[in-house]
Amino acid sequence: MRQSPALQQIQNNMAPGAYTAHGFLGDDQRNLIDIIKSDEQLVAKLGVTHKQIASKMKEMTKMGIKTPDVPVIVQGKYEVLVDDHRGFIPCPFADNVKEIKRNTQVRNLASNDIVYWSDLNIHMIEQHGFYEGNGSIFRNDPTTLFSVLGLSSKKNL
Amino acid sequence: MEILITIVSISGIATLLAILIVLADKFLNNYGQCNISINNGDKTFVIQGGQNLLSSLAEQKIYIPSACGGKATCGLCKVKVVDGAGPLLPTEEPFLTEQEKLDGVRLSCQVKIKRDISILIPEEYFSIKQYKATVMKINDMTHDIKEFSFRLDEPTTIDFKAGQYMQIETKPYGKIKEKAIRAYSISSSPSDKNHIELIVRRVQGGICTTYMHDYLNVGDQVILTGPQGDFYRRDDSESYIFMAGGSGLAPIKSIIMDIVEKGLDKEMYFFFGAVTKKDLYYIDYFTQLEKDYPKFHYIPALSGPLPEDDWKGDVGLVTNVMLQHIKDGSEMHAYLCGSPGMINACIKVLTGVSFREDKIFYDKF
Repeated sequence: MRQSPALQQIQNNMAPGAYTAHGFLGDDQRNLIDIIKSDEQLVAKLGVTHKQIASKMKEMTKMGIKTPDVPVIVQGKYEVLVDDHRGFIPCPFADNVKEIKRNTQVRNLASNDIVYWSDLNIHMIEQHGFYEGNGSIFRNDPTTLFSVLGLSSKKNL
Repeated sequence: MEILITIVSISGIATLLAILIVLADKFLNNYGQCNISINNGDKTFVIQGGQNLLSSLAEQKIYIPSACGGKATCGLCKVKVVDGAGPLLPTEEPFLTEQEKLDGVRLSCQVKIKRDISILIPEEYFSIKQYKATVMKINDMTHDIKEFSFRLDEPTTIDFKAGQYMQIETKPYGKIKEKAIRAYSISSSPSDKNHIELIVRRVQGGICTTYMHDYLNVGDQVILTGPQGDFYRRDDSESYIFMAGGSGLAPIKSIIMDIVEKGLDKEMYFFFGAVTKKDLYYIDYFTQLEKDYPKFHYIPALSGPLPEDDWKGDVGLVTNVMLQHIKDGSEMHAYLCGSPGMINACIKVLTGVSFREDKIFYDKF
């Protein structure tokens, strides 16, 4: 799908070297609008919202912050490890948001599956519905987040 | 079909307009020559308008401190604009207090020069220089931390206060086509005026740390700019505590070396937080220093030691370990260097044992 020049500029911000070494798009050749739309459909199919996913991610990060660099068991279901670095990273959507360089790793103790995100990922999911492109090192497929974080579908309620 | 034609038409028109705006800005917005007046006319320059203030000043060899290289993410490149700046941009707002806005403080990387401009900057900015340097040594300190030693080639000497930082410019590498600029604290002693050492921890996806860890080699030439920053030792205390984690050891090491070399009679406690033994480095150096300098106390603390670490030292978060050693900080200074999470946790704990907030020092990047 064609995208607006504004969105194209945002896509340029996501190239390697603009904000991060690897960028936000991985080896995904699609336009940003198509990546967002495709994940939007996935999220709708799962019966959740971007905000619900982001909220669960925030909850995990908040638990991990209490013991930086040391894994903590949360709700008996997850092992959460948070680490942070000096400096800030701006949001490529040019919304004047900058996040600290903090990463969270969550391991689902039952499945042993792991998800890994930055504070910027939480913001981009919550505010822009963007989960990064395929092949990006910080890409989190909504389906994976849904299953690892044990989210509930509205459809099942 | 009609909808598709409409979407394509609108997108096409929008693209055309965007191109026209870019071309118009390039060819029609000729701001001509503009004057930059610094500190009430103490220095004046004529520059070609249209550039941002940060890079215009750098062209005149006046380097405003910045940790992000002009991307409006560090908020360090503040200058007071007396006259000639345009309206405040949304990109600047998050970094400025209400008082700073009233005082005309701006981020120099965001101020585009379109007419004569008058600014005020601290005198010490005039001593910041750009150095050509050569990588002399690269040491692996831990699994994700390297120490880089640079020889200064031009100019060949530097004067800095222990605790200050330098900026380093990366070169294009891999898929990265543009240079980037980042700031790192100096870990060497100010007494070595011909060399600079930096300690850099790898950040997943970091433009500059990836460059330094994976692409920079012994013999390579780099551009360094500095010294910068107001994180340095204040003399009005007889006892200091230092708290660091990861690469935050860098400026603390420089400050401690400086105190010891100058033979100052100061009580010093250095708390270094790590998870396991493999995250510790410079252990032998500080252990020996503790033996040689009775007033220096080195307290490494592991928050998650492994059985194979056979760790006999302090265990727990560095903040909790500090509390076991320091009961009253009312007469002490605290110097902190580490991640924002660590800094925030330290400040909270320190103020709880009577450290004065204005006597707690740390870099704000």
